[in-house]
Amino acid sequence: MTRKTRYFLAGSAAVLTAGLGTGLVAYYVGGFQALSAAPVANELRYVPADSSVVAYADVRAMMDSDLRQRLKAAMPVHEQGQLEFQQQTGIDIEQDIDYIVAAVAGVNPHNGGLIVARGRFHTATLERLAVEHGGVTQEYKGKHLVSSPVTEGEHPQFTLAFLEDGLVAMGTLAAVQKSIDAQLSAQSITGNEEMMQIVSEVSEGNNAWAVGRFDAIASQAQLPAEIASRMPPVKWFSAAAHVNGGVTGTLRAEATDEESAELLRRQVSGALALGEMLAKSDPKIAPLMQSIQMSGSGKTVAISFALPAELLQLIPMAAAR
Amino acid sequence: MNEPVQTRSLPPAPGFLTSSLRIFDLSIGEMLWSRRTVFMLLIVAAPVLIALFIRALVSLGAPVLNGPGNVRMTGPAIFGMMIWIFYLRFTVPVLGVFYGTSLIADEIEDKTITYLFTRPVRRAAVLTGKFLAYLACTIFVVLPSVMLVYLLMVPLQGTLGGSFIDLVKDLSLLALGLAVYGALFALIGAKFKRPLMIGLIFIFGWEQAALLFPGYLKYYTVAYYLQALVPHAMPRDNAMSMLQGIFRESPGMAASIFSLFVIWLVCLSLAGRIVERKEYVLEQ
Repeated sequence: MTRKTRYFLAGSAAVLTAGLGTGLVAYYVGGFQALSAAPVANELRYVPADSSVVAYADVRAMMDSDLRQRLKAAMPVHEQGQLEFQQQTGIDIEQDIDYIVAAVAGVNPHNGGLIVARGRFHTATLERLAVEHGGVTQEYKGKHLVSSPVTEGEHPQFTLAFLEDGLVAMGTLAAVQKSIDAQLSAQSITGNEEMMQIVSEVSEGNNAWAVGRFDAIASQAQLPAEIASRMPPVKWFSAAAHVNGGVTGTLRAEATDEESAELLRRQVSGALALGEMLAKSDPKIAPLMQSIQMSGSGKTVAISFALPAELLQLIPMAAAR
Repeated sequence: MNEPVQTRSLPPAPGFLTSSLRIFDLSIGEMLWSRRTVFMLLIVAAPVLIALFIRALVSLGAPVLNGPGNVRMTGPAIFGMMIWIFYLRFTVPVLGVFYGTSLIADEIEDKTITYLFTRPVRRAAVLTGKFLAYLACTIFVVLPSVMLVYLLMVPLQGTLGGSFIDLVKDLSLLALGLAVYGALFALIGAKFKRPLMIGLIFIFGWEQAALLFPGYLKYYTVAYYLQALVPHAMPRDNAMSMLQGIFRESPGMAASIFSLFVIWLVCLSLAGRIVERKEYVLEQ
């Protein structure tokens, strides 16, 4: 072996070793380093640790998007709902809210559906409106709460809490109190490294995302045995979307093991192939089917898609008919 | 007065492994600095250049991560697709064909095989040494290329740590693929007259067709077992891939590794046996 050959082999081995070493260090150190820099880091500290689903939506970006303008022109009826919400709460969704973080613990929304919203809120106006509608104000661990009147029946008390300047929480009284406890005790969803890792991956470049424990939801949903036995062995699911002129998004599932993921990939492949065959007879959905790409490795199965604005506009038209 | 003649006993012939390593030492330099390696470097440089180009465009703010139909792709997904398209389906089988078939054929063409076979080493050891040289040559060129693509692509909306296990699996299966394809085409090169054409028909004809149809034909390919080890989803880039994906049934990891090992062992053993017994007639 000549010296030139030895140098070449040594150089190649060095590149391999450096790359493997870098990857190994990243693998062990890893973690959710991006959390501290994330725009929702503060809001996630109000999400209880036992939340099975966490979601985020950049309301400002979505309201300003071209898609929203087109849908607004096609679906004026939803303006009414927005006005009613504003009259009840004093919050103008289009102007006052920048982004929201939502969380659910389990399937039953009475267990703790929570929304934490960042924006511009007039505390005095919101309180006045709530009291005018029979609301009750109270203090809970230094936070100001406004709750709807207690009614008989199954409807839980709806509560609005002023967490910080420009940050409110909405949900049932129990959920809001739990949210305040989570932030004060530092026992929030940010301690769940697995979920935070997925959140850091899906949040980049997307203005809406949701991450959740599929197995936890399925077990609490009390599904019929025939359906429950056929549920795919998925542990985590996530959905991320970027809304501008249309919607581009990714659906991701993390299976319990690689064999299940491989099986799921094959099932999805078959379904996509069938969809492509059917799409040939319907030119409207052909762009959607062509845009769908399956990817993923190891225990992950991911589907990326693009919904063009023209296709989304067909939905309200179909609903109007 | 005649002095007694002292005879010196001849040292024993080197063992099989020693002979193979000696031939390896002799061949690796020749193989690495041959014209064929320029072709190999061009093949493995292409994905690295593409990765560099994509990285540069992303840094400049171009929406290159938007795939067909404005779908957003992530770095790890693109890395997985590149492993499938560039390395697994093209680089590994093609390098196996071009190098494996020429292990003995080149020596015959250059008329230097006589010098190798007149040495006190087994002919099978010559083949084994050359095979080891081919393996070292291809592994030390292809795997660093994969590593560079990984370092360039994966950090785009992904993490190096998150894809590290997949990288290790990719490197292992590509090395295994090079070894198995090399052994198979070494056998073809030792046995047949036009090994290159047979090899190309095998990888671009037989394997593609056998994987397409349901049934037992796919068991007689290398790609069937190799693709079962890939941690990334198979891309649906054309009708062939889509159809192969529909009919794809993957053997388990243990079964795949065992089958690949058996193919490697059988092919290399048979190739060695053929080289030992065949009479190579050099064209005048």
